Amino acid sequence: MAQAVFTAGRTSAWSAPRWRPRQASVLAFALLAPSLLFLALFTYWPVAQVLWQSMHGQIRVGGPQAYVGLDNFQKLLADAAFRKALVNNLVYALGTVIPSLVLALGFAMALVKTTRVNALFRALFFLPVLIPLVAAASIFLFLFLPNVGLIDYHLAKLAISGPNWLGDPDIALWSIMALTIWKNAGYYMLFFLAGLQAVPADAYEAAILDGAGPWQRLRYVTLPYLKPTIGFVLVIGLLNVVTQVDHVFVLTKGGPSDSTNLLLFYVYQQAVENYDAGRAAAGTLVMLALLLVVTASSLRTLERSFGEKEP
Amino acid sequence: MSQASTGVATGEVSPKLGYAATLLVAALWMVPFLWMLVAAFNPESIGAGMASLVPSYIPTLANFREAWASADFPRYGLNTTIISLGILAVQVVTITLAGYAFARLEFPGRTLCFYLFLLQLMLAPVVLIVPNLTTIARLGLYDTLLGVMAPYFVSAFGTFLMRQAFRAIPRELEDAALIDGAGVFQRIGFIYLPLARPSLVAFSIVSVTAHWNEFLWPLMVINSPDLRPLTVGLASFTRGAEGAQAWGVIAAGTLLVSAPLLLAFALFQRAFVNSFVSSGIK
Amino acid sequence: MTTTRRTLLAGAALAASFALSPAFAQGQTEIELFFPVPVDGQLARDMATLLKEFNEKNPSIKATPVYTGSYDETLIKTRAAMKAGKPPAAVIMSANFLLDLKIEGEIQPMDALIKADGKTNDQFMGQFFDALHGNAVLDRQVYGVPFHNSTPLLYVNTDHLKEAGLDPDKLPANWEELVTTAKKLTRRDGDRVTRWGMMMPSNYDYGGWILQALTHSNGGQWFNVDYGGEVYYDTPSMLGALTFWSDLVSKHKVHPAGVQAGGAVSSAFLSGQASMMLLSTGSLTHIRTNAKFPYKVAFVPKNVKNEVPIGGASLVIPTGVEGERRKAAWTLINWMTSPEKSGWWSRATGYFAPNKAAYDTAEMKAFIEKNPDAGIAVSQLAFAKPWFATYRTVPVRKAIEDELAAVLSAKKTPKEALVAAQKQADEIMRPYVEQTALKLPTN
Repeated sequence: MAQAVFTAGRTSAWSAPRWRPRQASVLAFALLAPSLLFLALFTYWPVAQVLWQSMHGQIRVGGPQAYVGLDNFQKLLADAAFRKALVNNLVYALGTVIPSLVLALGFAMALVKTTRVNALFRALFFLPVLIPLVAAASIFLFLFLPNVGLIDYHLAKLAISGPNWLGDPDIALWSIMALTIWKNAGYYMLFFLAGLQAVPADAYEAAILDGAGPWQRLRYVTLPYLKPTIGFVLVIGLLNVVTQVDHVFVLTKGGPSDSTNLLLFYVYQQAVENYDAGRAAAGTLVMLALLLVVTASSLRTLERSFGEKEP
Repeated sequence: MSQASTGVATGEVSPKLGYAATLLVAALWMVPFLWMLVAAFNPESIGAGMASLVPSYIPTLANFREAWASADFPRYGLNTTIISLGILAVQVVTITLAGYAFARLEFPGRTLCFYLFLLQLMLAPVVLIVPNLTTIARLGLYDTLLGVMAPYFVSAFGTFLMRQAFRAIPRELEDAALIDGAGVFQRIGFIYLPLARPSLVAFSIVSVTAHWNEFLWPLMVINSPDLRPLTVGLASFTRGAEGAQAWGVIAAGTLLVSAPLLLAFALFQRAFVNSFVSSGIK
Repeated sequence: MTTTRRTLLAGAALAASFALSPAFAQGQTEIELFFPVPVDGQLARDMATLLKEFNEKNPSIKATPVYTGSYDETLIKTRAAMKAGKPPAAVIMSANFLLDLKIEGEIQPMDALIKADGKTNDQFMGQFFDALHGNAVLDRQVYGVPFHNSTPLLYVNTDHLKEAGLDPDKLPANWEELVTTAKKLTRRDGDRVTRWGMMMPSNYDYGGWILQALTHSNGGQWFNVDYGGEVYYDTPSMLGALTFWSDLVSKHKVHPAGVQAGGAVSSAFLSGQASMMLLSTGSLTHIRTNAKFPYKVAFVPKNVKNEVPIGGASLVIPTGVEGERRKAAWTLINWMTSPEKSGWWSRATGYFAPNKAAYDTAEMKAFIEKNPDAGIAVSQLAFAKPWFATYRTVPVRKAIEDELAAVLSAKKTPKEALVAAQKQADEIMRPYVEQTALKLPTN
């Protein structure tokens, strides 16, 4: 199944047009019209609005929106909370995507053989993907609860006192990251399971004949074959870490001292808590720019995954 | 294939060790679920014993009763179902049409259109939460289920998925129908869609899962309690202004909210796994 | 031809709307009440019960309760609804957001409605405890009607006092006693603390309020009650308060480090892992229902004087609610804040009934007789002051709460923290200050 998706683009090339171009164009745009309408309404128009809003703000307290030039951006960059959110998001991205990726690869390699037991374990790793992030967060709220919570309770039995998981500015982001890894690793595992199917068995046999150990086989056989999968998972992972903040909302509200504030949550905060639409818009633009960089740098991966270009 | 995991251990770490480590991690992965189950059936809801993973009590449904009474779960469930299936219904139409256009038609500006769609992958509606809320309000859709659904009516990911499925279908089939005088919608409906069923099922599962679990956007759009989806309803348990939490009830509520998808997964495990593998981006 | 068809269609549409809207048929005014739930799901049901009774008594009005989450989220939801052109008719709004809403022109004064009832503002507000006026009457206009109120309260597990050989009837009354008691109550297993002597919530929203209570107990003020552009973060009284809290953590080691959420504090208290806590009177019912041990409550211990801020919420009418809807909202507000209903809600939640007459009702007298802790909570109202409220209350509050978190995690000294918080707060309020207090005649 996955194979079909990953290779479809390679097997069939674009065919020559069969209908007269004009007629085909009219038909094509008619078919695309519903999608383009919704894209315009909820993707392009909002971006235009954000652009407009980012250069407007209240000049008079309680007054209407007026043109303020680049004021919002200046204030944004001067805001320590924003810079913090930016750094946090970077740490959060690296600290969740890479471990999830390594774990997912490990799970996939261990469970690649299709047996009943393995199927069960794959399902176990996949379960967190299915529950809502806010539901996961409400479970983890108890896990991380000081003194009484699941972790501290069991640590206490070993006569260890845990740190303040969500209340210590040095620890809180890592706690949130643990939740993210728990939630996503099983998802990424599926891609690696599919990717491993593409590694030909004789490649391993040859490697074994050459006397390669497991590490060498991983390094010289498995990983090269998995390169497209890794690239793909990396992109999804990066998009996920920017667009999902439900757990921050439930667990910490960005605190303590902004230590778990992420870009999207910062934007939300500026818009609805601080009531500063201009700064929120400026923040959104910065976030969009970052997403663009991620997407643009991985455009080839995406194009290949979606079969637009030949690899 | 199996050689990968059963090969002779000559390296630093034996694959067997790796397998054992994986099973150990799996046990760790289960802990939150285990706690949810143990706590949900605990006659207590507050206090020191809530953290135990070994049930030392006679199970009770009291927490479920309390959760059930605190929130109108059947209603929330219905709303979530309407939202997820409503989005899917419209998406199926838009992605099929657009997918066909990309797969089978040559037209000026096609590459541009491709990138216009690709852009949506990163401009997720939740990133544009503030302006989208304004748009929804202007369209008079604030505090309506339609308002929650509308931004998702088009799916770039679904379009690309359908396009690939359509392109794998032999052209000859369509040409034959063309000779029989079938119109474009007939050709799509009777030739392409049935043959692309696996992709459609895959997309449906991924789409429903994503929207079933969504939180921040419906939280912003919906005010009326009658229109609240499950996730927003659940959040009301965990966040209070000046009070305390009843953990057993929270666990029960979380279980109630997660149960439908977990159940669906238990029943259609294969379909789920295949869908997610072929999906990539939600 | 086309005209006829259009008319027909319009007629059909009109007929359909008649058939589909029973409210129109009955001539009811439909209003929504946004309300936050402070404790748990039970309260949402209590509110539904309350409004059901209201609807039965007032057949011309149909009020729907809309649960909107925490105080902060209720503000957010209200603003979103107003932006969408659908303002709710009435909102139970955190009392310290009223000033902000007034500055932004988002809530309306109720003076005309009060006058129409044949009362003056003073007569109207006279039915409520004096401490509540500051957050409701702004610029001599009534913007909010107090609905339920609270103050911080000291909760003590008296079993633990006995275990430690202390007199269970003598609760700490000042900071000195608080520290010595907390030290005796704290239990250690080597370096590890197994039971904390004292806990105070420090999460967003709660932390600022508790710090205000400590500041007032230390003789200080948080903000300029008469002007929304000044806070007194960098002052000796607040430095003392913050240092006291920080000392409980780092010096006396009787209070856990880092941020503690309100729910975590009450969970620790209820499970016997904390012996004393400062928490809202609004949690009284929750604690009373769930504590499996005897407990007592007392005033917030003082250093300089007994003084605490109020908390809780008032009923407001958003701008844009006019005509019948406004009248209906006013009817609802008056009904909800009447002595009987106010008292009923108070007994259900643990909050004060702001209406003084509620405490003269027979039910309330019997209730306080049976639950003396509720009586102690009310008597503290005599020492209560307004809750901090400034231009952009939430970010101004967050400015110090972030610093508080840093101090409790030993990242900053109290002095550094207060200087930073003051700077941040001044920066946030600058536009307002420049357009009010610093806007001077130029020629």
